[in-house]
Amino acid sequence: MGEDADTRKINHSFLRDHSYVTEADIISTVEFNHTGELLATGDKGGRVVIFQREPESKNEPHSQGEYNVYSTFQSHEPEFDYLKSLEIEEKINKIKWLPQQNAAHSLLSTNDKTIKLWKVTERDKRPEGYNLKDEEGKLKDLSTVTSLQVPVLKPMDLMVEVSPRRIFANGHTYHINSISVNSDCETYMSADDLRINLWHLAITDRSFNIVDIKPANMEDLTEVITASEFHPHHCNLFVYSSSKGSLRLCDMRASALCDKHSKLFEEPEDPSNRSFFSEIISSVSDVKFSHSGRFMLTRDYLTVKVWDLNMETKPIETYQVHDYLRSKLCSLYENDCIFDKFECAWNGSDSVIMTGAYNNFFRMFDRNTKRDVTLEASRESSKPRAILKPRRVCVGGKRRKDDISVDSLDFTKKILHTAWHPAENIIAIAATNNLYIFQDKVNSEMH
Amino acid sequence: MEAQKEAQRIMTMSVWKMYHSRMQRGGLRLHRSLQLSLVMRSARELYLSSKVETEETELSFAAAPLNLPQPMTAAEAGAEVDSPQAIEEAIPAPEPMETQDARETEPAPACSHLPPVTFATLPQLSMKANRKRRSCTLGQGRDAGLIPSKKARLEEETVPAEGKAEVEAGDLGRRPSQVEEGPFPSLARVLQKRFSGILNNTGGPPKPTAPPSCELKPGCRQADNMINILVRTVVAF
Repeated sequence: MGEDADTRKINHSFLRDHSYVTEADIISTVEFNHTGELLATGDKGGRVVIFQREPESKNEPHSQGEYNVYSTFQSHEPEFDYLKSLEIEEKINKIKWLPQQNAAHSLLSTNDKTIKLWKVTERDKRPEGYNLKDEEGKLKDLSTVTSLQVPVLKPMDLMVEVSPRRIFANGHTYHINSISVNSDCETYMSADDLRINLWHLAITDRSFNIVDIKPANMEDLTEVITASEFHPHHCNLFVYSSSKGSLRLCDMRASALCDKHSKLFEEPEDPSNRSFFSEIISSVSDVKFSHSGRFMLTRDYLTVKVWDLNMETKPIETYQVHDYLRSKLCSLYENDCIFDKFECAWNGSDSVIMTGAYNNFFRMFDRNTKRDVTLEASRESSKPRAILKPRRVCVGGKRRKDDISVDSLDFTKKILHTAWHPAENIIAIAATNNLYIFQDKVNSEMH
Repeated sequence: MEAQKEAQRIMTMSVWKMYHSRMQRGGLRLHRSLQLSLVMRSARELYLSSKVETEETELSFAAAPLNLPQPMTAAEAGAEVDSPQAIEEAIPAPEPMETQDARETEPAPACSHLPPVTFATLPQLSMKANRKRRSCTLGQGRDAGLIPSKKARLEEETVPAEGKAEVEAGDLGRRPSQVEEGPFPSLARVLQKRFSGILNNTGGPPKPTAPPSCELKPGCRQADNMINILVRTVVAF
């Protein structure tokens, strides 16, 4: 039970680490499927690794719900655009699962330019007892065949097969930053810096451009699209965020080209916080609808904000992720950390939000109790089945034991990608090339 | 004065980052370029406003432009309007995937503004208007630049290769290869040689844009030296 209301008791039940040091293994996206049974990760080397949750077994209560590798495949390869003399990175920018409609699972994975639809199927039976072929597949000598038999399906070791079903190429001039599957399960959208395209999952040679913010004269460019998502229930609504910190909700019923937003969500800048870098840090790096569809969550460099779809003037909640960095923006600009794009996530009941930070810290904010906690994803501080200890960054003043000072934060260790199980309190944290999966011992009754 | 120095430092850093971002795998990132240009614009505005306040500082800059590490200073001393605009205009980087190539005509009038032209020949400014395939309008020299030449690349790759682990030997579409074919081909060659020379001497390029390593000061200082040399080189012409 939650004896200590101040801290979340989290049971670290499973630790998977890819423990290589090559850049290709840096995880670039993490996504649970709609049931939470599968967890997909993409990396900079263009690979996708799918984990599957083991069914809970009464015999081994401790290993309940552990995630093990289910399948690994190479989704994208490096390509070269000969016309523009540019290399196209194979890094997987986003993975989105399709809702499951039959025994197979499908997911969309994208790099900077090309989106691919992959079908993941299981094979656990194979036919045996062919008349013309023997067990190894060689043709039998017909004289030995004296009777006919019907081949039967016999169980075999589980084999997971992944095949590319669709390749959606040549839709984007700029770099794709997000994809989102529509609730109609037939269409999806892909967004690059200046345009958003609508695709049909079955049609690869055509897409519809639904947002185009490219100015006639590129010198007038002032903002780019940074993230986009379809509404979870209303198939006509989607939102996209901009580098200026605004959100635009668009209705596809209004017109074919949704350049005019239906709603513009923007908070006026606080003049006291103005600096060289104000514009950079106000850029929204991620936007997520709540499961209810009533709210939106945005992440900019220093804060996460909850917006109510019914109120455009300002967010209803703002949480400081690491405000102590505000005075260090110049150094962060020097070492490029100011450009880091953090993601954010809702829990299943939309009561807790989570986002990553530096030093392998990640933060959770409880919207109801207004409590927040900082946790660390590292092997040193987490053993299997250990309970994560809340961390604190001290910014001067009283320093407690185990506090970390701002200057000793490791900015190379950043948690950009996090995901929350759609129903349970299980979170997946990508820390560079390591994937951490944390599980709450106490289930649903907490939230 | 402090604000002015800080603004200069940030401008230098921004320009360097912009240049360096060309060399990244995957091509120029529009969002990144936009952010860099915004910072540089803010820094420039601060610099200009603090410059206006301190007249004597302006004079000392104008007297010794070459001693200053920042490209913008000589620009300010010269025609204030043109050069920052030249950079500013091009910085939004119209088409990130455009073939990187030097401008055909524009650098000529701007060549008196030395430091900006240094960067004008760098392809980051070249993409402004011409979205057509360049091969149809370019002469042989530039064609050679469009077709990536491995030989040229190896020479230039000494620049980023030491600092960036992700640069690969077969990495094509590099900006410096087209620098060579700009309006000042020999200038560009000199620049490349200087780059390699400096880097070999200093033991590595500045690291401000190497994502895995977040190093702070050393990267910035080396950039200053780099731009210092660049300024001198261009003045020689």
